[in-house]
Amino acid sequence: MRKSEPKVPEIVTRCAHWGVEEHRYQGHAVFAELLGAESVGGLTALSVLGRRANEELLHVLDDIGVALSLADPRIWPLKLTQLIASYGATMLPAALGWLTLEDARIGPWACQRTADLLVDFSKRLGDDLHDPERVAAVVQDYLRQHQFVWGFGTPYRQRDERLVAFTRAIEQRGRHRLRFWGCVCAVAPVVEAQRKTAPNVSLGVSAALLDAGVAPTKIGPLVASLMHHMFVANALDSAARVENPMRVLQSEHVVFKGRSPRLSPRRSAAAGSGMVANVSGEANPERV
Amino acid sequence: MQRPSPIDDVVASKLCARVVDPGDPRRIHGYDVDADLAAHYGFTDLVLLSLTGELPTAEARAATDCAMIAVSAASVADASVHAAVLARLCGARASALTTVAAAGLAEQSTFELRSGRELLSWLDEPRSPLREHFCARSDEERRRASALTASLPGCCKSMPILEHHPNHDAIVVALFHSAGIRRLDKLEALFTLARLPCALAEAFAEKQTNFGRYPINLPRFRYAEE
Repeated sequence: MRKSEPKVPEIVTRCAHWGVEEHRYQGHAVFAELLGAESVGGLTALSVLGRRANEELLHVLDDIGVALSLADPRIWPLKLTQLIASYGATMLPAALGWLTLEDARIGPWACQRTADLLVDFSKRLGDDLHDPERVAAVVQDYLRQHQFVWGFGTPYRQRDERLVAFTRAIEQRGRHRLRFWGCVCAVAPVVEAQRKTAPNVSLGVSAALLDAGVAPTKIGPLVASLMHHMFVANALDSAARVENPMRVLQSEHVVFKGRSPRLSPRRSAAAGSGMVANVSGEANPERV
Repeated sequence: MQRPSPIDDVVASKLCARVVDPGDPRRIHGYDVDADLAAHYGFTDLVLLSLTGELPTAEARAATDCAMIAVSAASVADASVHAAVLARLCGARASALTTVAAAGLAEQSTFELRSGRELLSWLDEPRSPLREHFCARSDEERRRASALTASLPGCCKSMPILEHHPNHDAIVVALFHSAGIRRLDKLEALFTLARLPCALAEAFAEKQTNFGRYPINLPRFRYAEE
């Protein structure tokens, strides 16, 4: 084969390289360094953060992945996956549910926005984290300026059981003494008392990741990567049903609140002239 | 340092464009987009030109218009549209919502047209009786087929399939077939394209984070371990 004439644009990538006998991934030799030494969770961290996770971060990631495993098919993004999988495919429905997470108001990007909030509170509080009066003043100042507070709200229940369980895991690892977890412990009771809304798991997840040195901008993709298993499980579950009532809901389960039945001007005109209504013909007579 | 790779010496040949000439002016199958198509043709002409390579006849355009509209009304009862509404509810990006709607509709089309290849073959040579699967069997199916038949453009009223009491979707496939669409993948794409406006509109009509008014228990799931 001959080399092509025009110069092909060159792009620098740190992502990966297909080598001879050995491949590179995010700066590491796949066989010599990663094979036998790295877990799937570690690869996830490497993929998002561009660096290998230490043991403490790996434990946190495992805890997050498990604590977030609320995979009930009635939960909106997972139900989305169930709906599309009702036609029989598996990976596409899983991917569709997953892709709705980006920038969404619930899920991983809520964790990311919550992390931004915690960083903000941490800066405002400085060394006053254990000064209840100062914390109350800072939080109340924030609440005066913001109607909505990320990290709070527990639909259909009083407490987020995921946060309760995740807190236990973090405490068992001794990570509740770290800066951002401490920030949560200081701030959350004040917000809850003021707004009458309980903290949710995104508050704990974002604090744990910030304490592990994860930048807020990486938290959305990282948490989303830890939730992929739930979409796969729901896709496989739905696709396996031969008769799937999700495919088409029966009419008694749908209420129509749009416009009342009406005639188009063209059909009205055709009816008035005794012609048979024909949208195509009437729309562009010269084309038919 | 450049690391060696077994694909380094593969010739970086050119990517092949077969439909749209990316030069200036842009052309679709040879026709100037701005100076010619935009001035003299409609969207249906463009769709058929893109998929078949030729501008349609007036009859093909009329058949396609009729088919696209006849198949367009995907409702929230359909899993595809329901999924798009859920994407909106979750506050997904507009691009993600559009992707969910399009991909969901594509899955729906693939599912609904799983016997489409057989029907296309029959339409190529409509000599044998039409299989019952493609015929209107219930009163509801007969009513829908009859309403669509009454609205067919004049050029399509003599399609051979009409003698076999086809159901609504078989008539739609026949219309597309008469317009030169003979491949199942293109048929699925047209079903998807036709339904996209309604699916997107239904999703856009939903309010973001309107979780409180969404029927979370429809359908009802029962968890069982065995």
